[in-house]
Amino acid sequence: MMPTIIEICFYAAAAVAVLSTFLVVTGKNPVHALLYLVVSLFAVAMIFFTLGAPFAGALEIIVYAGAIMVLFVFVVMMLNLGEAVVQQEKLWLTPRAWIGPALLSSVLLGLLLYVLVPSDLHMAGATTISPKQVGIVLYGPYLLAVELASMLLLGALVAAYHLGKHE
Amino acid sequence: MNFTEAQWLALLPLLITGASPIVVMAAISVKRHHWWNATLGVSVLNIALLVCAAFLLGPMVGLLPPFVPQQITPLLLVDGYALFYMSLILATTLATGTLLHAYMEGYQGNKEEIYLLLTISALGGVVMACASHMASFFIGLELMSVPLYAMVAYPHKSRISLEGGIKYLVLSAVASAFLLFGMALIYSQSGVLSFAQLAAWASATGGGTVIALTGVAMIFAGVGFKLSVVPFHLWTPDVYEGAPAPVTGFLATASKTAVFAVLLRFFVDGGLYRYVGLTDVLTIIAIASIIVGNVLALFQGNIKRMLAYSSIAHFGYLLVALIAGGPLAIEAVGVYLLTYVVTTLSAFGVVTLMSSPFGERDAAQIYDYRGLFWRRPFLTSILTVAMLSLAGIPLTAGFIGKFYIIATGVNQHQWLLLAAVVAGSAIGLYYYLRVMITLYLLDPQRRRFSAPLHWAQQAGGVMVLGLMLLMLLLGIYPEPFIQVIKAGALSIH
Repeated sequence: MMPTIIEICFYAAAAVAVLSTFLVVTGKNPVHALLYLVVSLFAVAMIFFTLGAPFAGALEIIVYAGAIMVLFVFVVMMLNLGEAVVQQEKLWLTPRAWIGPALLSSVLLGLLLYVLVPSDLHMAGATTISPKQVGIVLYGPYLLAVELASMLLLGALVAAYHLGKHE
Repeated sequence: MNFTEAQWLALLPLLITGASPIVVMAAISVKRHHWWNATLGVSVLNIALLVCAAFLLGPMVGLLPPFVPQQITPLLLVDGYALFYMSLILATTLATGTLLHAYMEGYQGNKEEIYLLLTISALGGVVMACASHMASFFIGLELMSVPLYAMVAYPHKSRISLEGGIKYLVLSAVASAFLLFGMALIYSQSGVLSFAQLAAWASATGGGTVIALTGVAMIFAGVGFKLSVVPFHLWTPDVYEGAPAPVTGFLATASKTAVFAVLLRFFVDGGLYRYVGLTDVLTIIAIASIIVGNVLALFQGNIKRMLAYSSIAHFGYLLVALIAGGPLAIEAVGVYLLTYVVTTLSAFGVVTLMSSPFGERDAAQIYDYRGLFWRRPFLTSILTVAMLSLAGIPLTAGFIGKFYIIATGVNQHQWLLLAAVVAGSAIGLYYYLRVMITLYLLDPQRRRFSAPLHWAQQAGGVMVLGLMLLMLLLGIYPEPFIQVIKAGALSIH
């Protein structure tokens, strides 16, 4: 049986995710590693899209690739402030730093464009889950999980506050 | 979601526990004051414990109608089993709270946040005790673990605590990843997440696909890390040594009790005992834990590290009951966990009181305890009873626990496991008694640490003394406790 187009997209995105995550772990420079992490998160978002969970995919991009990663990059850059910072910026702008993430991202872009072309594609998962369905489940049977997740965030916040405090 | 009155009532212990961090937070925002913030948090938890105890004990003395198990959304099942483990976790948290109060007095910096972390962690434990669904299992586990990272690293100026915290954080995150991946694999095969539906799926289809079995194995790897059984035990001694003594006590008791409670429910309600291969793997894990834990404990000069290895061995003993199964198993686990918690808490309680108020390091070296009897006879007697109980000597709580484990094994003819239990106990006797002998050696030259003179008047001291009496009571007259545990037993389907 030939794999469908969406299945090919799924495996391509999964390959990008695995490869970029591998490069995160092996990367020596934190900013380079973070760039790969952004790509990896985009690839995971793409996987969600191909599985028929566009809401989860969009959340993945907004929350992880958007908010959290920007925060990471800022923190890493702030920590690096110093004498050699300009020199370092120059080093980072060499093709070696951006060519890898750019290549991997262009694969994802290609996949996205390919999927966007109207055709009779259907998702690799059986059905497409709409945001409304997600909301109904979250505030129905999983209501307590949502509430407990808020306590989890509170715990993490207190932990971060205490450990990050300078006296 | 509309809850019925009975469901709200069953949810009460969880809600009150959830309210306690909020109360502590509000109290801190009004005024930072160690005693008042701590007392407020502990009293709210006390109410939660009282509610649990009322539900559990009320029907036994005929004051309340029998407690009807309530399924609250697919996530939580509050039944007698959940109530028993909730009570155990809450009582442990309360004991830790009193110890923390004595210990944190000497800490420079914000003392109050630790009660926030403690209560949030307790909430996670309570959720795990009644989890009947993979989602609540996972969220409960994280809710308990995340505050624990910060509690371990609480004195973050101390290198060793920070090291312990980071080790626990990194390894725990890996374990959580395993757990989650395992759940995903099982879900990919079965399409269900609640334990009961999983059991139905497993009995309908046999559940024997390779992927599902891999999923179960990954879940056990994740849980095995939290329970620190061999081969997932490597973090234990370092984290135990690095954490402040009361936090180590909490880690060794409340957190492991909660994880074991949910594991047992998963094992029984989720129909995992059907997997024969799993039992074989667990047998190897149990024997390895008993042997490795006990043998490595022999070489420790630090009492916290020794107790860490001893806890590895104790969870090996507990796994014996899980593997053996049979009608007695769930009762045996309950009894063993109760005796283990009481004993371990009192041992760490003594270490805490010896180290209080917080100084540059905990009094954890065994030589700190040399000749302790001649200086602090009460503390010594408590530690003596705790060591005897850990070793499983008759007339102490530990004996009853071990008796149950062995009875379960004999019922099910698990001779190999029993041999490991006997060998492990024999090795254990050596290092527990070594600590005891040190306590009575006459060598008053070194006394870098001495307990505060009025230790017995502090809440912590009274609590530890109470634990000692409980240890003896459990050892001499365990019948009432066993009745309570029977009331809180799971029914095997």
